[in-house]
Amino acid sequence: MHITEGFLPPLHAAAWTAVSLPFVVASAWRINRLMRDQPQIKLLLAASGAFAFVISALKLPSVTGSCSHATGTGLGAILFGPSVMALLGTIVLAFQALLLAHGGITTLGANVFSMAIVGPWVAYGLLRGARWLNAPLAASVFLAAMLGDLATYSATAGQLALAFPDPASGWVGSFIKFVGVFAPTQLPLAVVEGLLTVAIVNFLREYSGDELQILKFPSQTVAVEARS
Amino acid sequence: MRAIDHHAWTNRWRDWHPAEKLLPAGSLLILTLMLPPLTTAPLVLTGMMVATVRGAGVPLQTLLSVLAAPAAFLLAGIPFLAVSVDFAEGVNLHLSAEGLRLALTTTLRALAAMSCLAFLILTTPLTDWIAPLRRIGVPAGVVELILLIYRLIFVFFERALTGHQAQTARLGYSRVDRSVRSLGLLAGNLFQRALAQARRLEIGLMARGYTGELRVLAPKHVLSRTRLAAGLGLVGLVGATSGLLARGLS
Repeated sequence: MHITEGFLPPLHAAAWTAVSLPFVVASAWRINRLMRDQPQIKLLLAASGAFAFVISALKLPSVTGSCSHATGTGLGAILFGPSVMALLGTIVLAFQALLLAHGGITTLGANVFSMAIVGPWVAYGLLRGARWLNAPLAASVFLAAMLGDLATYSATAGQLALAFPDPASGWVGSFIKFVGVFAPTQLPLAVVEGLLTVAIVNFLREYSGDELQILKFPSQTVAVEARS
Repeated sequence: MRAIDHHAWTNRWRDWHPAEKLLPAGSLLILTLMLPPLTTAPLVLTGMMVATVRGAGVPLQTLLSVLAAPAAFLLAGIPFLAVSVDFAEGVNLHLSAEGLRLALTTTLRALAAMSCLAFLILTTPLTDWIAPLRRIGVPAGVVELILLIYRLIFVFFERALTGHQAQTARLGYSRVDRSVRSLGLLAGNLFQRALAQARRLEIGLMARGYTGELRVLAPKHVLSRTRLAAGLGLVGLVGATSGLLARGLS
């Protein structure tokens, strides 16, 4: 759910940019230091960023008649961890605006907040939580990706509700209205995204344990399983 | 995606200094957001469309398809803005004049803003956007990361397309459950290949003395003051006209 260029009032667009900026700057600083210590990480991150872009451009199988795209936030958070995803997600979102005309420059801050900050952190937190409770890997990945997707979508709904409060029932009414309008398409999409992420992670565990080990980022949960 | 990139590299204004396009289009984008949309948005929309089609020579069809990209979002947004919900006594939906007006102004504003973005992305190649990032304090390493991602996107996109075609030819997308499985295989495969590609790139670059910095020549653009002044003049004209119109209407 990219918020379209010019859809948010100027004050909101500026505010969301200001909220997202510290996360992205911190992430850029961390990535920059990682790259200085190990130059080869730059190529790994570049490949991952390009991969995330291409995945987000692939059409998901349609369930309710609407065609839609994967967000990839869950997968990214599981593989690279949320602190790397903030910058990587921002770059991918900027490319989506500039190469696909999805999203926009003025709404970049708002989109970064929902897709590169909220989604990854929720997905990562859930994955760690579920693994800590000894849930099976497939179930944890499914939950993390599905609920990460829903969290992203709720964040977007919240941003729109704050920008356009309902004249009668305020922003709470507006939020409910928005969730109601999009839930029929978003719920099945979140389930599909969850299943898709499980399929990808399964494939990677089966065939590329070595590659998963290069990702020494915070994804030990997955990598350790791949080794065994 | 390739249409946008293709026109960005081949349009008539491709060799202009990026600032000559960025400053006018950026100012118009800000004007669109700040001024009342009813008078400003149609002017901005017309101005940017004429500049893109007549000026830069981008086909109208391409421009329209770019402008239509957010159509689904906007169409879904109109009922959301126009219909008001009241929970005071049960659920109560009603259409208000105020809501309709909000829907109209928001859609107009988004379309006009989209035309500024379309102008920029159809006339300026991505590499021209990335070079100025270094000047506003983005670390050189991160700028290089962005350039590498730009290059790899096209490499991987080609592969994804080929893989998708092969899977479709083998009925991999004939049912929903098969589609999920096929897409998972495609994405997993792509990721594996992406990592392998990164490793090969790394070995190849190391063999050539890579120390963490890729040095490339950037094309020199000469800033034309006339063109910049003309662009900013257009912005002033749009701003003044919409101001006058707004005063006349109220």
